[in-house]
Amino acid sequence: MLDLFSEPVPEPRGEPARGRSAAAPARRAGADPGVTYTPSLLNSIVRELLESACPPVWVSGEVTGWKRHSSGHCYFSLRDAGAQVRCVMWRADAQRLPTDPAEGMEVRVLGAVTLYEKRGEFQLVVRELEGSGRGGLWRLAFEKLHARLTAEGLLAPERKRPLPAFPRAVGVITSASGAALHDILHVIERRAPWTRVVFCPARVQGEGAAAEVARAIALFGRVPRAAGVDVLIVGRGGGSKEDLWAFNDELLARAIAASPVPVISAVGHETDVTIADLIADHRAPTPSAAAEAAVPDVRALERRLADGRERLERAVRRRAGRARDDATRAGAALEDTLQELVRARRERLARAAAQLEALSPLSALRRGYAVPLSPAGRVLRRAQEFAPGAPFRLRVLDGTLGCRVEGEAGGEAAPAGDPLERTGDG
Amino acid sequence: MAEEVRTLERRLQRLDAIVAELERENLELEQALALFEEGIGHLRASEQVIRAAELRIDQLLEGPGGEPLLTPLATPEAAAP
Repeated sequence: MLDLFSEPVPEPRGEPARGRSAAAPARRAGADPGVTYTPSLLNSIVRELLESACPPVWVSGEVTGWKRHSSGHCYFSLRDAGAQVRCVMWRADAQRLPTDPAEGMEVRVLGAVTLYEKRGEFQLVVRELEGSGRGGLWRLAFEKLHARLTAEGLLAPERKRPLPAFPRAVGVITSASGAALHDILHVIERRAPWTRVVFCPARVQGEGAAAEVARAIALFGRVPRAAGVDVLIVGRGGGSKEDLWAFNDELLARAIAASPVPVISAVGHETDVTIADLIADHRAPTPSAAAEAAVPDVRALERRLADGRERLERAVRRRAGRARDDATRAGAALEDTLQELVRARRERLARAAAQLEALSPLSALRRGYAVPLSPAGRVLRRAQEFAPGAPFRLRVLDGTLGCRVEGEAGGEAAPAGDPLERTGDG
Repeated sequence: MAEEVRTLERRLQRLDAIVAELERENLELEQALALFEEGIGHLRASEQVIRAAELRIDQLLEGPGGEPLLTPLATPEAAAP
């Protein structure tokens, strides 16, 4: 191996660093005064050296001075108690981060060392960055968005709309190739085949998935209400935390909140809740469960109809039976009333007849009274109407007798009064 | 079908109301019979709706102007992977 500085060209890659360090003392002593480097050349050579000598490494430390440039590249330093190292994360890698790490956050990065030639700065080109601790960056991103949406009231329970009992059509947003669509169709066909399904395909993982799903939700919002899409299922089957990350996207969350019809989130996962779950009107653990929540069950409906029929028939039978009883009872009552009426009439008639009888003059004659009449036929009531020797007639029960007055009339013997009343006790 | 489903919900609600009304004791016979007939009508129509039809699937795509385009997809089997 030749002296490094004897030729202004980089070392071939892959040569072990150890070899050179053995030769170092000789080099230091023997720098060629005839060869002069520029900073550019020097830095270029050192960069080549560094990059070829150090394979990618994992480095853990505390993030400080994180800055996301408008270009999308991110710059920061990693430090521990004794040292720090400059880091850069290019846009292509940085945009996979769920959020920016907080100042002072403990992270672990995978990176390759290099030299930033322009400044002669040693730095780490970071390809991956993981937050250490519970949930790491994902948790941090989730919590940040959660706090923001909560502050806006978008996660409030009173915002949740009830699902329609009988949707005319169910909107489904998921991948055209996943099992989720198949599961949803299967459940709806089994439970409520009269319900129409309107399917809008969208990628549910990877770059741009959240935006695509959000766009589909907005598209459903522009479908005329007459098309009958009364509820929306947005989801996918299970996957890794990163696969599900689209459902923690702010854009998607806001699209759900803005949907004119209730949204059911169906992100297949066991433990973690996504922002989509929290902001949706209803959360289902799987796409199948979402479909079950969306449509009624034909069997339950059939039971309900059968029950309705039974109750209808029973009620009307009972009502008709009561009507028959009522009629029977009414007939009997009518008869009673009539009989009562006839009896009352008869009694009244008998009473009237008796009264009439009592008032009749014939009854007085029958009891032995007689009525004196003047020759002209006038009833003679008082003694003074009888002149001595005058003729008069006497009406008795069965005829009239011719009579003549004998002797004087005596006032005391014939007191004034109705003969009919007076003679009762005589 | 969409309208039939909407009326299905109304029919079921009406049916519940009719049953409750009929189960009240103080109903005129004529009124009871009229309610019964109406109830049976709703029952038959509802049964017809829920017994009907294969699942219908439409696909929703975005038109060039951002407008929603609905096109029918054949059967669940054709749409599923």
